[in-house]
Amino acid sequence: MKFLDLVRLVAGNLSRRKARVALTAIGVVIGTAAVVILVSLAIGLQQSANEQLYGIGDLTQIQVSPSYGGEGGPVVSVGGGGGGGGFPASDEVKLLTNSVLEEFRAIPGVESVIPREYLMSGALMKFQKMESYVNIIGIGTDDIADLGDSAEQGTTELGRGRIVIGVTVPQSFYDPYLRPGQEPSPPPELFDQQVQMVVIKYDSNGNEIRKNVALRVTGVLAETRGESDWTVYMPLEQVKQLNEWSQNRRFNYNKDGYGMVIVKVGDVDKVIEIADQITAMGFQAFTPQSFLEGINNFFIVLQIIFGGVGAIALLVAAIGIANTMAMSILERTKEIGLMKAVGATNRDVLAIFLGEAAGIGFLGGLGGVIIGWLASQGINVLAMVYLANQASEQGGAPPSIAVSTPLWLPIFALVFSTLVGMFSGLYPALRAATMIPVLALKYE
Amino acid sequence: MGKPFIRIVGLKKHFEMGGQTVRALDGVDVEIEAGTFTVVMGPSGSGKSTLLYLLGGLDRPTSGEIAIEGERLDQMDENALALFRRRAMGFVFQSFNLVTSMTALENVAFPMQFAGVAAASRRERALGLLNQVGLANRADHRPSELSGGQQQRVAIARALVNNPKLVLADEPTGNLDTTSGSAIMHVLSDLHKAGRTVLVVTHDPRMTRFATHKIHLLDGHIVTEAEYEAAALEAMQVE
Repeated sequence: MKFLDLVRLVAGNLSRRKARVALTAIGVVIGTAAVVILVSLAIGLQQSANEQLYGIGDLTQIQVSPSYGGEGGPVVSVGGGGGGGGFPASDEVKLLTNSVLEEFRAIPGVESVIPREYLMSGALMKFQKMESYVNIIGIGTDDIADLGDSAEQGTTELGRGRIVIGVTVPQSFYDPYLRPGQEPSPPPELFDQQVQMVVIKYDSNGNEIRKNVALRVTGVLAETRGESDWTVYMPLEQVKQLNEWSQNRRFNYNKDGYGMVIVKVGDVDKVIEIADQITAMGFQAFTPQSFLEGINNFFIVLQIIFGGVGAIALLVAAIGIANTMAMSILERTKEIGLMKAVGATNRDVLAIFLGEAAGIGFLGGLGGVIIGWLASQGINVLAMVYLANQASEQGGAPPSIAVSTPLWLPIFALVFSTLVGMFSGLYPALRAATMIPVLALKYE
Repeated sequence: MGKPFIRIVGLKKHFEMGGQTVRALDGVDVEIEAGTFTVVMGPSGSGKSTLLYLLGGLDRPTSGEIAIEGERLDQMDENALALFRRRAMGFVFQSFNLVTSMTALENVAFPMQFAGVAAASRRERALGLLNQVGLANRADHRPSELSGGQQQRVAIARALVNNPKLVLADEPTGNLDTTSGSAIMHVLSDLHKAGRTVLVVTHDPRMTRFATHKIHLLDGHIVTEAEYEAAALEAMQVE
């Protein structure tokens, strides 16, 4: 039997039982629509979450810090076990000394190892009549580009007395002598300007001691929506000197180690593997990727659960199809006998009835995809209005999408509902195909 | 002497019903030549329909041989039987067995779908056959819009659509009034005159007028005409 003839025959058989086919297909419509809506919702949630998390950091970076006891239970246990020296992790903390940095550099796949240090005292940055308390990080490289950042203005290169600032840093500047009712000044244009930094420490009597440092802004970094946006980068050596001045002690990186080290990995796929390796060496390794991965895993589970809820509806629909087909085959037993008498093989009969069951699944799937898609769009509109209101009340950017239907989803749903139809028709169709012709013909 | 067209040897068909073995056919030997018009006579329960269905490959024998042009039906699997029916058999049933949702034309063309004939030639051939049975003007009518006699003529056209060697008719006049019944008999007789082998199962004695051969069945056995008449007479006396 030719495929086109089969399709035509199946379509004809379905169209002569319109009411029954429609009623059976409604179950499939509901199931498919549920799958499309729920999975779209899960995907939409994932997208808006990723959107909000975007800029959590460069995915090829691992932030390594010493594993201080008591902080982060599993890390300690891994450090203790992996350190292997037999010492209790809480007593002797492995520090990020220069020799350890060399060990990191020796790990295959590691591109660079960059130490960094916070300024340990308060620092007020002044420009003209405006000022701001800023986040200052000393970084152990001559070029911030090594961290994956690029300059929006000027350069990413650092030097003594030269700083590179994040793009939102100027927005934190304010005029301390602003009178009430006076219009606040716009954020200053800091690029290529000289700024004064006032570092403050207190002596043993509680007297404030100030130290002024003149700095030139030689670069503004492009937006990353991460930490670098509100950070002022200085050479590590200069931050070290300021820290020594404010803490009244000397720092020896060979003995005391760095506060934090950034390990940059060449291949994104190796990041987690290398982070695990560093953890096993007894350090605390944080990578934004492992965080993102966990979140993405959560959303995949969510999609499966949501899809599963829809699939239950489809399962009920499948039972409906099986029932309809079983009834239909009983009613058409004589017709089956006749088909066999005029030369239909078991295979032909099987194909016809499987085709009818698949046809019901397909029609229901088509309806479900259309309804599901329309409903998703409707939910999107309603949710966006609600979320935008929420965001404006609580501050923060509203998500740009609530429900997202990727192209593969309706196609998958349609194929799946057709297969569900076909599968539920399998048993009735097999029964029809294997009927003994003479008994089928004589069936009353 | 050539092989006979149909050769049946020691054919038995037994089945269980209510714990008892019913011997529908109990050792039948028949040879039928090509181009004959054979009428199988017998009261109900004599096994005549069983014989027809076994001959048509719609049922499997318990034992014995059925050969049509040397092809052993009893040794074929279901698929081969289906292909054989498609190629060599045309069936006419007592209750017509038309598909009610299809027009006369579609009913006639239906078997050709399984044979994979192209749609255009299906239509052409079906129209030709409807014309042959005098129903060309009813091609687009559904069975419910046709009389019993017309429906049976559609069924005969359908039986001929794959150009079968053998036409098997099971009580073709059983559901028809006398006039339509004799019209159907004439159609079947015309098929025979056109050179086809026709086998009709009936208990309508009028059919024997057209027959070249007669087979009488009683309780699953072939009997002579004299034995058959005697038994019929006996049955009447009992009543």
